[in-house]
Amino acid sequence: MALGGAQTHVVRATLLVALAALLEVTLAPLLTFGWVAPRFLILGVVVAVADLRDLQALLLGFFGGILTDALSGGLFGVGALGGVLAAAISLRIRVVRRKVGAGPFAAQAVAVAVVVYDLLGLFAPILAGQVGPPVATYLAGGVVPDALLNALLAYLVGDRILKLMTVKEEKWT
Amino acid sequence: LGRSRKSSAASSLVALITLCVASLVLFTIYVKEDDSGPLHTVQLGAAEVLRPVRGLFGLATSPFSAASERVEGALDASEKKELEARALEYEEGAAEAARLRDENERLRELLDGERPSFTYSPLARVVAPVGGQLTERVVINVGSDHGVRPEQPVVVGNNTLIGRTTERVTPNTAEVLLVTDQNFAAGVRILPPKALQGETDEESTTAGESTSGESAAEDASAASEREPDFGADSHGEGLLRTSWEGYLGVDYVDLNADAEQGDFVVTSGRAGGRELLFPPGLLVGTVESVSSQDINQYKNIVVAPAAEADDLQDVRVIVDW
Repeated sequence: MALGGAQTHVVRATLLVALAALLEVTLAPLLTFGWVAPRFLILGVVVAVADLRDLQALLLGFFGGILTDALSGGLFGVGALGGVLAAAISLRIRVVRRKVGAGPFAAQAVAVAVVVYDLLGLFAPILAGQVGPPVATYLAGGVVPDALLNALLAYLVGDRILKLMTVKEEKWT
Repeated sequence: LGRSRKSSAASSLVALITLCVASLVLFTIYVKEDDSGPLHTVQLGAAEVLRPVRGLFGLATSPFSAASERVEGALDASEKKELEARALEYEEGAAEAARLRDENERLRELLDGERPSFTYSPLARVVAPVGGQLTERVVINVGSDHGVRPEQPVVVGNNTLIGRTTERVTPNTAEVLLVTDQNFAAGVRILPPKALQGETDEESTTAGESTSGESAAEDASAASEREPDFGADSHGEGLLRTSWEGYLGVDYVDLNADAEQGDFVVTSGRAGGRELLFPPGLLVGTVESVSSQDINQYKNIVVAPAAEADDLQDVRVIVDW
């Protein structure tokens, strides 16, 4: 990828993560059903960092999470950690993208990242001295359906977003 | 080439660990700092900035929820469609009239039910729910400019407690932690119906009547208008909390307490060691069931809330008492 293309790609990825963070704090609360909700931040980070370099991807995940933490009323740091880990998971799983395609890749990565994010959301309040739900009930009734729903969402839209993110290389003439 | 890849992987791992540690440091600072700390201040400012965006999304999604209700209704109506369509026109008119009448009554009750010893904020509307799958919170459109401060009781109707303000109070908004949130707790007292009902109602109302359907709702509504008689025999005291199964209940009620179905649950003015977090006498609900087991030290009491959190529209904050 040419340098200009790489820069364009980073800019697009950054905009995508920022938009995802904004949707996470404004739209997601209106679409929450019990313990299940669309995780726009995770979806955005996983898809946005898929073609970035490792350090760029991790930093983008971190600052996307920071933005979510700042805009939301939640415990600060949880979104940042969730964003970093989502980026790391996306980097780890992206090797399968060529084999299985963009949709299944996004679905797998998002499912794993949502499980991690939900577990963070479970243990962070407990660490902060707040009341937490029963772990077994939350895992069965919250984490699993949440991961499945978001994996489905990623499967449906991940391919299209990845195409939007792709920058065509300019040929030397 | 192999050495370069190893070096790249190692640097990525170092970056990952560093960023994870940075996240944990931020988390620790946030938990340790007080409400005026820098991270809390950032969130407070962001909440104020995002208020119009949240309102816009709330407005944008309302047609979808209305449309989904209509679609559900259409799918269910497989028979008698013509008659139902005709009836619908009349019902819509009647429903609109009923809605306006209810709204009128509700707003009138809010104003008529004021207790002289309380100072209320202006009437507030519920703007939006707050994110987080483990929380039950809403944002209302009054804030510090209207005298609202953190940890003040929020009521609906005639002094029916529905929650308290959190530390997130901006000049024009305030976040409310609802009684149905698992982190909400309030010291409550269980009172027999006669303690909250006027002398004229005392003879005509029995405990059995007060637990049945509309009668219970009317009794609860009427009860919240009156100052409770704390001189009456209390049927027990405890801590109001919502279990993770979603049941609103009163914990730590002594096995010897006389709590029974139909009793009213009102705030006692104490929440653990914190004195007067809520003023005494705010109605929370009625006792739905009482049970006890030999192995338990306390009674199991389930409470039917006097106000449904899902139907919240207009609320007021008690800013002084």
